[in-house]
Amino acid sequence: MNIDPRTKLIIVLCLSTLAIFIKDILFLSGILLITIMISLFFKVNILQVLREIKRLLYVLLAIAVIQSVFSTDGQVLIGLGKLTILTTVGVQKGLEFIIRIMIIISSATIITTSNSREIIQGLVQWRLPYEVAFMVSIGIRFLPILREEIKDSIVAIQLRGIEIKKTPLKKKLYIYSYLFTPILVSTIIKAQKLSMSVEMRGFRAYERRTSYMVLRMSYVDYLIIFFSFLCATTLAHLYIDQSVLTLSSLKRMSYFVYNSIRLRKFL
Amino acid sequence: MTLLGSIELKNLSFGYVKGKEIIKNINVNIDTEAITCIVGPNGSGKTTLGKLMVGILKPGSGEIYLFGENMAKMSLGQIGKKIGYLFQNPEKQFFSNTVEDEIKFILEIKGLNKEYIEEKVKSLLNLFQLNHIRTSFPLKLSQGEKQRLALAAILANEPEYLILDEPTKGLDIGLRNSLIQILKNLYDKGIGMTVMTHDYTFINQVSDRILTMYRGEIVEDKRNEY
Ligand SMILES: Nc1ncnc2c1ncn2[C@@H]1O[C@H](COP(=O)(O)OP(=O)(O)O)[C@@H](O)[C@H]1O
Ligand SMILES: [Mg+2]
Repeated sequence: MNIDPRTKLIIVLCLSTLAIFIKDILFLSGILLITIMISLFFKVNILQVLREIKRLLYVLLAIAVIQSVFSTDGQVLIGLGKLTILTTVGVQKGLEFIIRIMIIISSATIITTSNSREIIQGLVQWRLPYEVAFMVSIGIRFLPILREEIKDSIVAIQLRGIEIKKTPLKKKLYIYSYLFTPILVSTIIKAQKLSMSVEMRGFRAYERRTSYMVLRMSYVDYLIIFFSFLCATTLAHLYIDQSVLTLSSLKRMSYFVYNSIRLRKFL
Repeated sequence: MTLLGSIELKNLSFGYVKGKEIIKNINVNIDTEAITCIVGPNGSGKTTLGKLMVGILKPGSGEIYLFGENMAKMSLGQIGKKIGYLFQNPEKQFFSNTVEDEIKFILEIKGLNKEYIEEKVKSLLNLFQLNHIRTSFPLKLSQGEKQRLALAAILANEPEYLILDEPTKGLDIGLRNSLIQILKNLYDKGIGMTVMTHDYTFINQVSDRILTMYRGEIVEDKRNEY
């Protein structure tokens, strides 16, 4: 089934907005679960995404410790005399961070299941200027390239006989910082080449462009968008009230449903 | 039995995507004291085989023994100390801001002595005729210059064995002949190599053995008689 890129964008917007604005760890885990289920539906290779995130575990540890040292809340789990090294609140903050990142990254990969041409077209049909849409899609495209570039450099360094795992931390950091400029410069060179080739093919030659490809949303798309909004606001409400649906929130929800229907017409 | 002076590929298979094998059950023993050329049409899997032989790619099934040691148990760094690998696209192996640093940086990281490094860099820049561009940005060089820089950087490590993916590509006749001379000199010093190439001048001049690949298999194994 071919889902419109705009639908995917809306799903991602809903998920990442929730991830940013909710602070409750249970809620966040619930949203993560939903995100993973949606990703599976779009046949994202979720295992690979999770594997990538595994590397952020250090950050989790760092945040947990920093939060523990500098805040006085929570129970002390590990302490050195008066210095608290790990508290329950610290652990919680760290976990929240990692879950949030997981939601954002795995939901963002949903967009990459559309090709860049479709994404551009989707944005253009949302009345975004073509140049801007093009830029956004190139941006999305460039991230994996940048990652490849970093990977390649690290492989190349190791192949020159540097055992990166056995290198002491200080030297390792030195090597990584050394890589920074060349990778940046090579990315800029790539971007220059890209812009040149794009101009050569007559990009922006005419004011108006017509497209061979025109995206049309099917009723499935509308249904998905509707449910995304519905779920997102319901979750947000549940989170704000922290109580089961009250009459007033039901009223607000129906107002929202009404709005989404209007939005549907707009789209 | 495994041989010490060899790279041994045993029942080696590999595919980038499941169900589509690019390397199909290759069994071959490569003598690391000789020059082995791997030829074959574009897309036959030469580059893929080379990447497997230096551990950039991991075998789907089968094993590779490098000097008698199972490569699955070696880190890229350990392999890199023994083998110098020239990428088909040499851009992929640059990580420095200047031509000079490309050779120097690794030697510095290894903590070698300053005079030795200076001497080494100078002789390599001379050998590969890179002196006039020592402060240029590697990615802005011409194809031939990139090729030479990549080789120079590899040789700075004094590897025991070389795997070169199309080393003469992009070189004019003069540069190619001087490269062939350099490789011959290395060979005389006892450094063997595997060379993926289409360059028959090169093959006829230096190879001891020619393996022909076709669709992921070795279809011909020929010794070169001078
Ligand atoms: N990173 C990759 N992902 C998927 N397929 C690849 C990749 N690299 C090469 N291939 C495919 O593997 C086959 C062999 O490629 P390669 O080893 O580069 O051949 P050669 O070097 O002999 O020209 C080709 O069909 C190519 O399309
Ligand atoms: Mg190749």
